[in-house]
Amino acid sequence: MAMRARQFEEAKRLATSNLELAWWIFMRVSGVLLVFLVLGHLYTRAVVFNFHHELNYAHMVKVMNSPVWKFYNWVLLFLSILHGTNGLRYVIDDYIASGRVRAWVKVLVYTFVFLVTVFGTIALWGWRYQPMG
Amino acid sequence: MYRGREGQWAFYLHRISGVAIILFLTLHVTEISSSMFGPKWFNALLAFEANPIFGLGLVAVAALVLYHALNGLRIILMDFTSWGVKYQRQLWYGVWVLYVIVGFPMLFAMLGHVFGGGE
Repeated sequence: MAMRARQFEEAKRLATSNLELAWWIFMRVSGVLLVFLVLGHLYTRAVVFNFHHELNYAHMVKVMNSPVWKFYNWVLLFLSILHGTNGLRYVIDDYIASGRVRAWVKVLVYTFVFLVTVFGTIALWGWRYQPMG
Repeated sequence: MYRGREGQWAFYLHRISGVAIILFLTLHVTEISSSMFGPKWFNALLAFEANPIFGLGLVAVAALVLYHALNGLRIILMDFTSWGVKYQRQLWYGVWVLYVIVGFPMLFAMLGHVFGGGE
């Protein structure tokens, strides 16, 4: 169950399991990292790469083949997916009262998120982009 | 603790923005990863997304992301300092001050991209 703790000491007291406390801590740690990673992502796309003018397949190939951007995007993908999906789990736990419906919604959400993550990971690590097809 | 007041709004906005962001994230990862399908597909997709409606959508997502980021930092201060909960309302006003300071340059940079700006 999601926790409503507002402080670390309270969270430690309310956590129903070590795993739940670990998720609570993960949300804070990944949150801080994501502030910098996401704002860095927005800044590089919008300002450095000037996205609407320079974004095309050739530019994508350059980014997708660069080891630095591969790593940056992969960290960003994993942290944001885990942070977002755990957040969705809190929301589902809070607003869906029926245990049966809740379980099905979680199965669907987790399956969808898993497939998207696999697709994104293949795009980053498992694909050789031909410079101009 | 803060029913019906600023803290409640901070909480609801955090939830709503969070849900919207994860929805966008799955779309965004799928869209970008589809560059695997090659230049013909991907350039056609980009041409489709050049419509200002998508650009305005990006501005909206960026606005939600900025709120979620700043209010998330407020939550962390509430969680890990002795004074954060006591001053949560003042912290929320601080969130909006930073929102305007960081958000306005972002807004103008993005709107410039959306509506041409030297295409």
